[in-house]
Amino acid sequence: MLCNTMVSIVHTLLFLIGLAIATEEPLNNAEGTNVSGQKFRIMETGIQYPYEEHLNIRPLPHNHLLTSFEFEMNSEPFFPGDSSLDFDTYDHYTVFPKAIEPLLRRTDVKQLHLRFTRGYWDSEEWGRLPHDGFKSGGSGVELWALIEGSSKEDAFKKWKTLANSLSGSFCASINFIDVSKTNYPVLSFNPQDREEQGIPLFNPTNNLYLMHASLANEPICTENLTPLLKLLPSKGKSGISSLLDGHKLFDSTWHNMAIDVKTKCVDNNHYLNNGECFFEMEANVDVVSHIPSVLARNKNPIPKPLGGEDLYCDLSKPYDGYQCFPSPETTEIQFSLSDLFGKNISGSNDLSFTHSRICVSITDNWLATIKMDEGLFGTDDNCFDLTENRNYDIYMESGSTNEVAQIDDVPIYVSRSLTGYGQDHGGLRTVFSNPTSKPVRLSYYESLPWFMRIYLSTLEMEATSEAHKNLTLNDIVESRYYMPSIDRKRSTQLEFIMTIPANCTISLAYEFDKALLHFTEYPPDANHGFEIESLIITILEPVPYQLRTATLLVYLSTPDFSMPYNVIIISSTIMGLIFGTLYNLITKRMVTMEEAENILATRSIKYKLMMLRQRILSKLGL
Amino acid sequence: MGLLTNLHRKVIVLGLVPKFLKQLPQVAKLLMLISLIMIAIIPMDGQYRRTYISENALMPSQAYSYFRESEWNIVRGYRSQIEEFVKNNATAKERNLEVESWLQDFGIKTSIYHNEEHQDTLYGILHTPRGDGTEAIVLSIPWYNGDDEFNVGGAALGIGLLRYFSRWPVWSKNLIIVFSENPRDSLRAWVEAYHTSLDLTGGSIEAAINIDYASDSDFLDYVEIYYDGLNGELPNLDLLNVAIKITQHEGMKVSLNGQPKDTIDDDGYFPRLKTMLLGIRDSTFAGVKRVHGNEAFSGWRIQAVTLKACGTEGNIDITSFGRVSEGIFRAVNNLLEKFHQSFFFYLILAPRNFVSISSYLPSAVIISVVYATFSLDALVNTPFGPPMFFNKESLLSLMILSITLASSYFLSQLFIYAPNPGLLIGLNILLTIVPYFIRKPVSFFKEPLTYRIRVFGYLYMSLVLTSLLVINFPLAFMMGILSFPMTLVQTQQSRYIANMSIAIKNMLYLTLSNPFFAILIVSNVIDSDLKYLDVFYDLILAWNDLSCWTWFLICIGWFPAWLLIAMSTIKSSQVTSVEDEKKQQ
Repeated sequence: MLCNTMVSIVHTLLFLIGLAIATEEPLNNAEGTNVSGQKFRIMETGIQYPYEEHLNIRPLPHNHLLTSFEFEMNSEPFFPGDSSLDFDTYDHYTVFPKAIEPLLRRTDVKQLHLRFTRGYWDSEEWGRLPHDGFKSGGSGVELWALIEGSSKEDAFKKWKTLANSLSGSFCASINFIDVSKTNYPVLSFNPQDREEQGIPLFNPTNNLYLMHASLANEPICTENLTPLLKLLPSKGKSGISSLLDGHKLFDSTWHNMAIDVKTKCVDNNHYLNNGECFFEMEANVDVVSHIPSVLARNKNPIPKPLGGEDLYCDLSKPYDGYQCFPSPETTEIQFSLSDLFGKNISGSNDLSFTHSRICVSITDNWLATIKMDEGLFGTDDNCFDLTENRNYDIYMESGSTNEVAQIDDVPIYVSRSLTGYGQDHGGLRTVFSNPTSKPVRLSYYESLPWFMRIYLSTLEMEATSEAHKNLTLNDIVESRYYMPSIDRKRSTQLEFIMTIPANCTISLAYEFDKALLHFTEYPPDANHGFEIESLIITILEPVPYQLRTATLLVYLSTPDFSMPYNVIIISSTIMGLIFGTLYNLITKRMVTMEEAENILATRSIKYKLMMLRQRILSKLGL
Repeated sequence: MGLLTNLHRKVIVLGLVPKFLKQLPQVAKLLMLISLIMIAIIPMDGQYRRTYISENALMPSQAYSYFRESEWNIVRGYRSQIEEFVKNNATAKERNLEVESWLQDFGIKTSIYHNEEHQDTLYGILHTPRGDGTEAIVLSIPWYNGDDEFNVGGAALGIGLLRYFSRWPVWSKNLIIVFSENPRDSLRAWVEAYHTSLDLTGGSIEAAINIDYASDSDFLDYVEIYYDGLNGELPNLDLLNVAIKITQHEGMKVSLNGQPKDTIDDDGYFPRLKTMLLGIRDSTFAGVKRVHGNEAFSGWRIQAVTLKACGTEGNIDITSFGRVSEGIFRAVNNLLEKFHQSFFFYLILAPRNFVSISSYLPSAVIISVVYATFSLDALVNTPFGPPMFFNKESLLSLMILSITLASSYFLSQLFIYAPNPGLLIGLNILLTIVPYFIRKPVSFFKEPLTYRIRVFGYLYMSLVLTSLLVINFPLAFMMGILSFPMTLVQTQQSRYIANMSIAIKNMLYLTLSNPFFAILIVSNVIDSDLKYLDVFYDLILAWNDLSCWTWFLICIGWFPAWLLIAMSTIKSSQVTSVEDEKKQQ
């Protein structure tokens, strides 16, 4: 009852007031979208910079909620031809992070992509990943960059500098990216697009090198979020970024932080002489939370058994004071963003051409309103601009939460698992399941550490459905790229362009041997196993989409690390025994038993005494 | 070194070596006695150790368990519906579909593994938000337990537990729930499929808890914990300790190796000895005798235990039993590395007492030395002069050994396709009495050859035991003891007057040490699960369903040695020996 009253009050409010203050026109569409070359603009409200921020909220089935934060910013324009030593050059950073730009220019990075992802994205329920998967990485940290260099070695040097610097800035183990973890993708990461985009080369004799590395299952936590917030001009103090808080963000079902930097030039043909270039940076934070869990945790941090009155029993089955068949999860829900993030949005951003904007993608059975002070206001398109410098909150409710805005179907499901047992060999099996009625063309990118020695000869394809039993590997795979590993120097890189027929499930399996590591190569937690990074699938047709499988854990044979001690003791003992025997053999004379007894007999004190007595007696002449 | 040289000289002077060699059979018998004594002293105070948690991360019973209060109502709610299955005679398919929908209600990803031979298995994965999705813990609930009783309480408890777990944010490993039709072949088939062909997987399985609560009562009396793996594998002692510690922490009594309730609290030398011997028995026949569910996980580096609720009366309620699983899950969840800290080879003397491999292995080593000694005896103590190892007889014996091995292998395979224990026993009776009925010396078996055959027979037995004793101590120990009578067998030489008593004795010893007779007798005497000829069918089933090697070890490890020894008792034709020559001179 209470809930219904609330809804009706809110509706009244909406009707009376909401429409009256409906969204202001976006301040300046033209400037907002095409900000290139704009340094800043002076308006009545003050100086404004090329910076935008959006918050998109989208309920997902089964009471989940996707919250996507988007931040975009551009650097000050610069002339690539100018040397920083020129008398009239100066460095000036407005909204673009000072930590990033000098690094990009020093390492000649044309594109930089950094991902921090963790959790389980349920694509069967939730559909496609946000931004079609192009803004999320595999579990852990993923980094790839397009670097201009005179040679591969030169580019790798710059890449290493980049990784080390990012490691410092983001408090992550990115510095562990070394030559054995770095790959040079060939078929994946949209090489065609790269050509078309016309990435500017600042030195025509140089080449571009795409390098990729990932640190599977690197823990993601607050110390990675804080540096990201510090890159934003609002520093997480105002605007939508003020919502972000490590405690809540990392308590979510799935979360993802992404940074993408691209180099853009005003006129690609003339930049060498007089064209000016700038960096475009996008930062994204996406979070999926399970709303009832979060609300329950707010109420009681420990999920203790519920009291009898809070139990929701299935009324169609027997229930009383002793038994309760739990009913499926409630579909009625009401919450505000501050419940999920533990904070209000404090004010808007005053730096940019546009105000912070919050959009909620919902169906009619949902209600979304913005809460300013104590008032609730709604809009037609469920988008809200934060125009004033005060606390905002978003309040949402629904009576049937499973009806959510249209979810785009995933073009393909891919999962990968380890097969086999034993310490010396194993197998990898990848299942592609195309639920759509169109064939899906995709690129497959897999990087495996050198200690997994794969046998491509064992690569086998199996189609589970009867209709596709006759398919062979060659029907599926149209081109392949294989870079074999070199121990400790290079990882295995496996890339395919393949087409999965419509309504078809196929599995791809191959086997590998596990290598032995040197004693010092084992990490401190050697018995944890070794993380294998995600398989990256980029769909080329019918829709661009990218997805990654879960990471894997491979067990290698691990020595008992107290063994060297035992080995030293045993080998020392054996050495001692051998030495003693040899020494004896070398220094002692070999005699027969009779001789030995003779010698012994002549050596005994009794004998000597006897001899002495004889001698004395003989001297005495007796 | 001087001391040693003196000693060495004394030994040579007194001629101890030849004297020692003459006494080899006595030495071997003495060694056998020593071996048994070494096992017998293990349960004495001061010989065994108290169990302890070796892996610090486990911290069992350190977190408060909340599976209580209204969770009990939910368990009862699920149980009322599962009881409906029994009332309505629901088929396995109906049951699985219904439970699948319940699991999906709280966000479990489910799938049904179809297997026509071993029946379908329903399983579900709770993808935990905080985990990296690379590791998993399994809660397995066979619909029917090892005694073929419907696992009503277990199924209700399992669903209730998983629903309760889904509300907790603490999990760092995926949680998998498995409903197999039985704890034997269908669970094993699922585990195998998980590692080969399943599409829905949740990462490497670290540990598995098998729940057996086959009553619809709210209360239970005490808990039996089963831990034997197949082929001598055991779960890491840490997991077993965690299970025992948490069960006792929740106020339940723990029975190991199927001890009846009234003897659980007994402490002293004999109760400990009994628990240990029962453990050796259970481990020897693991997979062959009644299977509880934990055996199905053996072989994939999965540590597994079965918790069985016993009794329907008692002051322990079903949620306490659930809290045991909760506690084990919480403990295993704490692990950052896989189980590796504690022992993988041990004998349990009491829930809180154990001995590690270093205490009991020497006795098995000594047993294998016993056979090596007999082999040496047959080599050196012959009437045919100083032993030459490489001669015609050795070559012949080797060939005989190869033929025996091949035919044993053939027999083992044949029996798998056409199991006929009656025929097997008949064949062995025949083989046992044949030497007795051969009255005339067989010209092929010259006397030196019979000795050499014995050399290879004992040597082979010793090698088999040596290679088996580390990986499967109980079986090696059992084989070593049961085949001991064959060392007492004497060769029948035509030079001596046909001695009926020797022939009859030989027949007795051969019967006692025949692998099939021995297994038959032992299984009927010490194990109430295995009646009459059951053991042979079960040995074959254990191989077919669970890949348990015991049948092959008996056929290819033990039987060839026995065949060789039996062969050596055949009357052999005379050749002139050194002694004869001396006499003639």
